[in-house]
Amino acid sequence: MSKRHGIDARADTRPGEAGEDAIYDHLGLLAEMGQEFASSLDIQASLTRAIEHITEYLDAEGGALFLLEDDGRILRCHACIGPSEITGLTLKSDKGIVGRCVKTNRGEIVRDAAKDPGFHSQVDATTGFTTRSILCAPMSVKDERIGAIELINKRGGDGLFAEADLHLLQAMSASAALAILNARMAEKLVEQERVARELELAAEIQRSLLPKPGTGEFPVAGVNHAARTVSGDFYDFFTLEDGRICFNLGDVSGKGMNAALLMAKTASVFRCLGKTLHQPGRLLGRLNAEICETVTRGMFVTMVGGLYDPATGIVRLANAGHEPPLFHDTAGAFASLPAEAPPLGILPLPQEQEDYPEVELKLDGGTLYIFTDGVTEGYLADGRELGVGGLKTLLRENASARAGDRLASVIARIDRGNTVLRDDLTMIAIDDRAGHARRTAAGNAPKPPAAVRETDGAEEVLLTVKVPSQPDRLKLIRNAVAETARLCGCTDDVGRDIVIAVDEACQNVIRHAYGGSPDGEISLEIRRRRGELVFLLRDYATTIDVSAVKPRDLDDVRPGGLGTHFIREVMDEVTFLPPPKDGGNLLRMVKRLS
Amino acid sequence: MNHQLREQDGVTIVGLSGDIDLQNSPEARKVLLACVDKKRPVLVDLSGVGYIDSSGVASLVESLQTARKSGSKLVLVAVSDGVRRVLGLARLDKVFTICATVEEGLAKVR
Repeated sequence: MSKRHGIDARADTRPGEAGEDAIYDHLGLLAEMGQEFASSLDIQASLTRAIEHITEYLDAEGGALFLLEDDGRILRCHACIGPSEITGLTLKSDKGIVGRCVKTNRGEIVRDAAKDPGFHSQVDATTGFTTRSILCAPMSVKDERIGAIELINKRGGDGLFAEADLHLLQAMSASAALAILNARMAEKLVEQERVARELELAAEIQRSLLPKPGTGEFPVAGVNHAARTVSGDFYDFFTLEDGRICFNLGDVSGKGMNAALLMAKTASVFRCLGKTLHQPGRLLGRLNAEICETVTRGMFVTMVGGLYDPATGIVRLANAGHEPPLFHDTAGAFASLPAEAPPLGILPLPQEQEDYPEVELKLDGGTLYIFTDGVTEGYLADGRELGVGGLKTLLRENASARAGDRLASVIARIDRGNTVLRDDLTMIAIDDRAGHARRTAAGNAPKPPAAVRETDGAEEVLLTVKVPSQPDRLKLIRNAVAETARLCGCTDDVGRDIVIAVDEACQNVIRHAYGGSPDGEISLEIRRRRGELVFLLRDYATTIDVSAVKPRDLDDVRPGGLGTHFIREVMDEVTFLPPPKDGGNLLRMVKRLS
Repeated sequence: MNHQLREQDGVTIVGLSGDIDLQNSPEARKVLLACVDKKRPVLVDLSGVGYIDSSGVASLVESLQTARKSGSKLVLVAVSDGVRRVLGLARLDKVFTICATVEEGLAKVR
């Protein structure tokens, strides 16, 4: 409908002038207003134009459009035209002629405004305008009240509005109400779409946090299906320089955006720490401290984190309140590994008790499965929960498939694509089959674990020395180490640092591993490779609890634990390697030479 | 390890020499605590000490704590680079009062 037909034509056909033209023009105006609201995203501008058109069409001196706000408690003028500018004016919704009109949901003609008990004379008083008569019609759609349109003073004649004017205004108000409601819904839809788009972006970023599937016979596989767009579950795995694979799987309490954000944080901190900290129990301890420091009250993370060494088939893991992982051995039996510590983010522990307990497991060709409760509590097609028993059955049935396919077959039973998931589904498998086959093919020869293989790159053994576990032999070691450092071109300062670290490590062996007994033996080997010195310190005592060896808290100046602190301060890497076959302990320290 | 004891102006000056390591630190500890027990200011002359380990540092810390408890002072004198480095590693170089010479140390405790 063109403007000419809708608005300008009214000059010739006033309301009250009977005839088809008049009706045609009313319809034209209504249609134009509807279109205006539908095509414009700016409701305010459309409201202003609507009141302009209506006021002009009904030949009034002024007009105002009020909308209910604040849960219907107030009426606010959103658009007005005429001698008094009252846009922004608010009334209590039960006050005034407008309020009455909205309340009764009926249009009114007030022929002598000043005598009406609902009339507000204040506006006239401040503007100097005289309100003689008022025409007011409610805007509502079905039972939903939206507001009202008020026109003031009919131009010309007796200045009074006629019954026909009221009918027309009521028709226009109803039409405006519908248009406003539509526009509001459209606005809501746009907002919902924006939120959905942002959620999709968040989900995309979240998916990018998951590791890419490994190629060929890569022993670790994982899968994650989110119940909603974003997930509170995660898993990760990455290969360390020494060939070991660091892995984790976690479940953040809750499922919404807040869970997704905490998931992103936990996964990132784990990945960052996991590259240098190769003790899962300590790593989870640090992660717990970090999460406790910043987490929102009431949120927590259950997690299994660990290391798998394909060269030995050994997994070391720590479990923070997570579903017990399942180990499926080559004989077909399942063993469950329950958590021994609380979830992350619940209880900050003092630094000396910060480490989470570790479990060591030899896979020997079997597979370790770690999963979230979304898997075991997922519904099957017949409406039953999968359960741990069902999971075992599925894994057993598919035991010959590749690890990734085994996971996919479990997930396919729960996420059948036609129902909303109850919870996120996340699972990883650590499959030692290929590793075991390689180890067996190598002729059962006990190969050194990946962490001990020092053969890559040119390497030179500089010193091998074996001494009894007696304090008076330490000076011998110190002198030998000092000379070796000098030989390698170390400055006096670096040489002194290395000496103190090795001396302290030897002392630890004498005092802790051998308990002060002078009958043991300590052997030290120093190797040089690619700009670093590697110190391998070996003893033959009972294997010690690695987690008990930690640097002291520096705020506490009491003696004790200081030696271990010196070692970690000086050396770039300090690791206890898996105990050698014939017992004892093997400490590896690396000093990088700049 | 050897040690020499002398008194000057009511201050105990104890000179240690040799390496203070796991082998010798129990002896060093005994000597230091005996000096501190007199409840008079103590200067520990370390000019003859080339090496000190964590157990030696622990003995020094224990002596300092004992001295502080009885309200007297303990000052380290003529600390070699090696010993200073170990104190630094332990973040104790700011905990101890360290003087270059015995004279400076005497001025400090008086």
